[in-house]
Amino acid sequence: MAVVGAGPAGLAAATVLADHGARVLVVDEQHRPGGQIYRQPPATFTARGAPAGTAIPAGRRLLAAAAEAPLRWWPGTVAWGVFGAGAGLDDFAAAPTAPGAAAPAAPGAATPGVPGAAPPAVPGDATPGVPDAGGAVPRVHGAGPDGRAVDPAEPLAPRRLRLATHGPAGTRLVHPRLLLLTAGAYDLPVPFPGWTLPGVLTAGGVQVFVKAQRLVPGRRFVLAGAHPLVLVVAAQLLAAGAEVAEVALAVRRPALAAALRALPAAAGNAGKLAEGARALAALRRARVPVRFGTMVTAALPGADGTLGAVRLVELAADGTPVPGTGREVEADVLALGYGFVPSTELARQAGCATRYDPAGGGWVIEHDRWQRASLPGVYVAGEITGVAGAEQAAAEGRLAGLGALTELGLLAPAAADRLARPVRRELRRRGRLAGLLAGTFVAPDATLAAVRTDDTVLCRCEEVTVGTVRSALRDHPHLRTANAVKLVTRAGMGMCQGRSCQPALCALVAAETGQDVAAVGSYTARPPVKPIPLAALSDPD
Amino acid sequence: MDRYDVAVVGGGLLGCATAHHLARAGSSVVLLEKDQLNRHASGQNAGSLHFQLEYRMVADGTDAAARAARALPLHLDAQRAWAGLAAELAEPVGVAQHGGLMLAETPDELDRLGRKAALERRYGLDVTVRTGAELRALAPYLSDTVLGAAYAPAEGKANPRLVTLAYARSATRAGATIHTGTRLVGLTHAAGGWRLTLDDGRVLAATAVVIAAGVWTAEVAAMADIRLPVIPVALSMTVTAPAPPLLPHLIQHVGRRLSMKQSGDGNVLIGGGWPAKFRTRAGHIDLDAAPDLRYESLAGNADAARVVPAVLRLPVLRCWSGATTLTPDQLPVLGEIPRRPGLFAATGGSAFTLGPTYARLLAETMLSGAPSLPIGEYSPARFGFLNFV
Repeated sequence: MAVVGAGPAGLAAATVLADHGARVLVVDEQHRPGGQIYRQPPATFTARGAPAGTAIPAGRRLLAAAAEAPLRWWPGTVAWGVFGAGAGLDDFAAAPTAPGAAAPAAPGAATPGVPGAAPPAVPGDATPGVPDAGGAVPRVHGAGPDGRAVDPAEPLAPRRLRLATHGPAGTRLVHPRLLLLTAGAYDLPVPFPGWTLPGVLTAGGVQVFVKAQRLVPGRRFVLAGAHPLVLVVAAQLLAAGAEVAEVALAVRRPALAAALRALPAAAGNAGKLAEGARALAALRRARVPVRFGTMVTAALPGADGTLGAVRLVELAADGTPVPGTGREVEADVLALGYGFVPSTELARQAGCATRYDPAGGGWVIEHDRWQRASLPGVYVAGEITGVAGAEQAAAEGRLAGLGALTELGLLAPAAADRLARPVRRELRRRGRLAGLLAGTFVAPDATLAAVRTDDTVLCRCEEVTVGTVRSALRDHPHLRTANAVKLVTRAGMGMCQGRSCQPALCALVAAETGQDVAAVGSYTARPPVKPIPLAALSDPD
Repeated sequence: MDRYDVAVVGGGLLGCATAHHLARAGSSVVLLEKDQLNRHASGQNAGSLHFQLEYRMVADGTDAAARAARALPLHLDAQRAWAGLAAELAEPVGVAQHGGLMLAETPDELDRLGRKAALERRYGLDVTVRTGAELRALAPYLSDTVLGAAYAPAEGKANPRLVTLAYARSATRAGATIHTGTRLVGLTHAAGGWRLTLDDGRVLAATAVVIAAGVWTAEVAAMADIRLPVIPVALSMTVTAPAPPLLPHLIQHVGRRLSMKQSGDGNVLIGGGWPAKFRTRAGHIDLDAAPDLRYESLAGNADAARVVPAVLRLPVLRCWSGATTLTPDQLPVLGEIPRRPGLFAATGGSAFTLGPTYARLLAETMLSGAPSLPIGEYSPARFGFLNFV
């Protein structure tokens, strides 16, 4: 099985799979496992203190278990395309040569000398006795964990599922029997006047600097948004010696207080909210102004053209700005945390069915009770099924691993059911917490939309403004979908493949055309989901 | 029940252009599009204006090439049509006709190129084979492996993101009605014309109907109990990140699948007929689903670009799939369908390049019965043997 992503979901799944004898390849963009939440500094860093990723007990346990498991590990490698997953015609070019023969494009026996390859903590390609993830077992039609037969109307050709990667070893094509996608989530980009100025970052981005690079990317910080992450990052910046001028949360204090009171009802370990509460206490002790019901309306340039100040305004109970409360705070970095968007592009490119789930961060990948996506052989876990935090992601990863083990014939369905029982109990508990969080930390979407002017850049890759999209919709009154607006305006056609502008563009199109945002759809996800050199595509090894 | 002179089925380049011509001539026109305007082949192709015969037309020997060449009068018309299009529509459509090169890398290919150019010249196309220093001066960016190229100065590109919508706006200004998101589900002959039933329950009447439905042409024709041998073909395209100007010409290859150009925005678009795979639903090809990309096609598509080495250094942003419509003899289907008075169709051939020409000739035929170019050669009547009623 190939696992894309080495965050909580991927690590949990890979460990369960390997523990039961599956041959597992883990592909991850980062050089060390942990994902965003348990991100570790580069292995070569010698700074004192515990690596950030292992400061959290749950993360430490996951990383340690994965380090023990015999995994094949491709770090620093982007999984850029899934091929042959959709129902359809035979892919004659991808047909196996002969039973037992090694497929020519299967991953090589080893990748010695890969720069920045597996850190000592994780067994890498050199692990003795770990066979190729591609193997030579043809994909067979069969029944899934709970007896669901693969739809006989859409039979799978043998070994047609393929994963294309690009990393230190170049472009490679993997033929896994099963595929698990755990691509995680990214910071929700929120356009407003000045948001493209140098110095305006996402809270998650600032956290990467602090956690992984031990670097404070500025002098005087303002943190703002609608997610408890801004409190956590502010406290981390403070601990790293930065000046935090202000933390502004759009959430109003009464809503937060209610959520904190309800915390015991959510049971279990309370994850983000508790972490936010601890961070809030630390900020209070340091006398950092933390203001609730306060929102950024503009980022203003300083003399050198980079961020100089942040304009803030107070929000009334209905989320609208209170007139006369506008003020400016000097800062050279503004870190924004409005929540997360599931990184669904690889799963969507593969052809997995999606569902619009506002509480889960937008478009999410549909799955069944064993985390199987709509495509045979493809499993999904973690934030791409709806943003719900690291613990939930790890639980989903375990379920996916157990489900896949039965499909691989390595675990009896009854045993999988038994092992899944405590995981399912945990997921039910977490479901309650997720609902609580979703109800509390809501971005004031209407107010955010109202501060955007026609000059505000929406798609920063192609420099398409709000005004350009509005006038395209006026000029072409028949256009009503994200894809149609993308084609005529170029919004979403740039280097980021639309990851950055899609949420705001879809909301704008929905508002301008009087549709529900789900009806606007999403940009079609295409390979490569991250850019790769043309030469690498033309010359795979 | 709303009545129109003409109902156009399909909101791609051909449909919107036909609506534009008919509405400007005073006809009452309704255009029906089941999806969004410009959503399929018209917006998904790479915008090549290739007036030379394409690789697929010359790949199967002299006889096939000679047959495909019978569409060249349309190619000559299209050269002029594209040159005047921005003025006709009063808005930019990204047309740039800086010339096109069809490359040869082996002596045999060079030979074929010479025969092809001679055939095209007989129809009046301005095309000459360039080699050696003359070629290097014209196209210094080409790889050393290129031995020669057929140069057609009028070739180039248009912007497929803009053309169809510009036609649609012009048609709307001239009074055409456009319905999107509604699918034709019934097409029956009625007294004095046609009755069209839509999937939202609406029923329209029109004196004449134009099938401008691309890969759905056969499906729509079948509603009128007509079989047309038009074959959907799924293709893949690749686009790089924007780069400074490095490729002024349209590039094709006589020996393999390649069409490449740099868009006005700086992105290099690479296509040329690398296959994608149609998806299936319940075992049947599903034309409504975007075809699956094949890894081998992406690799082949990228590899074909090596004739311009500078392109290989660019990052690939996106590969995408689309579908086009071909006919068994590679000639267009263009004109009125026999025994179905008032039912017209156009598809096949180099359908983006020839779209403005198809549309004008169809409109002229419908309005006066006398198109400005003879189109009998492309009539669906040549497939009359498939239809007994």
